[in-house]
Amino acid sequence: MEPVARVRAQTPETGSPTRIALRRLRRDPTALLCAGTVLFFVLVAVFAPLLAALAGQDPLTHHFELIDDGTSLPLVGMTPEHWFGVEPRLGRDLFARWAFGARPSLLVAAVATTVSTLVGVTVGLVAGFVGGRVDRVLSWLVDLVLSLPYLLFAIATPATLMAVVGLTPDDAEPSVVSEIRFYSLIIVLSTFGWAGLARLIRGEVLSLREREFIAAARVLGVPTRRVLTRELLPNLVAPIVVSVSMALPGYVVAEAGLTFLGVGLTEPTPSWGVTIASAVSAYESVPHYLWIPVLSVTALVLALSLLGDAVRDAFDPKTRR
Amino acid sequence: MASAVAVVVATLLISFVLFFVAPRDPVGAVCGAKCPPERAAEIAASLHLDDPVPSQFGQYAWGIVAGRTITSGGTTVECAVPCLGYSYKLGQPVTALIADAAPVTFSIVLGAALVYLVVGVANGVVAARRRGSALDRLTVGGTLVLSSVPYFVVALVFALYVAGRVLPPSQYTSPLASPLGWASGLLAAWITLGLVNAAAYTRYSRASMIEALGEDFVRTARGKGISERRVVYRHALRAALGPVTTIFGIDLAAQLTGAIFTERIFGLPGLGTLTLNAFAQNDMPVIMGSVLVGAVLLVTLNLAVDLMYTVLDPRVRLG
Repeated sequence: MEPVARVRAQTPETGSPTRIALRRLRRDPTALLCAGTVLFFVLVAVFAPLLAALAGQDPLTHHFELIDDGTSLPLVGMTPEHWFGVEPRLGRDLFARWAFGARPSLLVAAVATTVSTLVGVTVGLVAGFVGGRVDRVLSWLVDLVLSLPYLLFAIATPATLMAVVGLTPDDAEPSVVSEIRFYSLIIVLSTFGWAGLARLIRGEVLSLREREFIAAARVLGVPTRRVLTRELLPNLVAPIVVSVSMALPGYVVAEAGLTFLGVGLTEPTPSWGVTIASAVSAYESVPHYLWIPVLSVTALVLALSLLGDAVRDAFDPKTRR
Repeated sequence: MASAVAVVVATLLISFVLFFVAPRDPVGAVCGAKCPPERAAEIAASLHLDDPVPSQFGQYAWGIVAGRTITSGGTTVECAVPCLGYSYKLGQPVTALIADAAPVTFSIVLGAALVYLVVGVANGVVAARRRGSALDRLTVGGTLVLSSVPYFVVALVFALYVAGRVLPPSQYTSPLASPLGWASGLLAAWITLGLVNAAAYTRYSRASMIEALGEDFVRTARGKGISERRVVYRHALRAALGPVTTIFGIDLAAQLTGAIFTERIFGLPGLGTLTLNAFAQNDMPVIMGSVLVGAVLLVTLNLAVDLMYTVLDPRVRLG
């Protein structure tokens, strides 16, 4: 490998693909703006209790005194006490619900991305490297998962999970239901998320395993596990990073969307999807009730996807200038 | 072909295990927590829930190809072929419920397909011909942003602020009863689903068209003195449409099982709405039936796309 590195040293871009990509990202204004937006929402989610305390509110307290008895609409707009106003009917503070609502989106997306990436990379590595019957079984599994109707399973899974733990929606505590739904979201998104990455990694491994450095490692008697983790994995950083950066916005949308449909998180958990679903009925009288979570989820997803595109371009050798 | 059948059988097994083996109390899952004991006993007997699991699965699978009888509230219901189970909540066979909802979903998806194919391909061709111009950059940038915005947000904004104001209110009327009512009621949903998907089709057809315009046969056609219009629309476009057709087939299959957001947001009683309502009422047999029908639909359509592709492109042979 040494002589190659020395030849490369004369071209303007040097270092590992990861280092080149990072340098390119630092010079990309769109990527920086998007990274800033994502960081903002991550900070809001992490410091949600602090922000709510700063505003002197919490997401669960009802303020019936601020609600009109007849129309059940709020009597106040955005005030120094309630920065984003209060919810119709129950009068819960919307700023606190917005700050806490950032949490499930990011948490579900982060956990689902981690699980599906770990499973996808492992399956892809094993299928591509071991080959034979193992590869046939794993590839069939990938094809099976990719040909199932994901949205219908996203509806069926929480229903089944409730039945598996022996609960029915009629008699279960709302907070227990919401917790089960949280796990069901992660199960569904991870189950349907790993297959695409596994197929990608398998293809990469199939071409990499015929290369000389792998043959050399095997001749030297390096154990298979070490070949997989030390020789193959470092060469797969680019496809993995790109796939993660594309998966994250998808999972944020999936969480908000499924929650909006009523098959994701439920009351009393604060979540943007829950707020959007209940704000639809009051969109004319209290527009900011709908628009704040809608714009937040849109901004977060837009920033994540444009950042994903920038990451993909930064890792793409064809766009090297 | 064999793999398509394997996927259907696997889905049948998965859905059976999910709904009858995994739950602690399958009768409760079908009938609800406040199920009277005599009704629970009736359901258990009717669905043979006391039999061994493989025998239960055999009866369920046999019901799909040969039909079965189900007892509900003392009356015996003939569940005709293909029997996907019986909704004890709605008092109807699942097959009938799905048959009622399917035309709505098909109407939404096919109408939207017309919108995005026409708008997307037209945009893509224009952008490809003026590659690098301000119009092209605007189209590419616009489609990129539009396809990054969550679909349910776009649909929601359309449903709240456009349908019922600019466009006729959204509703479903059978095309047999009133073709005009059918079209006007679905117009808002068609335009929403159509325009959002048109963004992706603009990009596909632009890329495909740019490639086709650079081919030798296009240069030859121009060299022969054929008019530019004829070169673009007869020679290049025909070659560029191949890849777009494949993506269209796959998308169509995915949308038939995934038009749930459109149906819910525009209040149209299709398969997605049926499944969501079943979820809200914990109506397990309906959810199970929808999952199965969705999987079969997806597999069949994907197989049809593969077969179509061999017809469109004689170089491709199915392995």
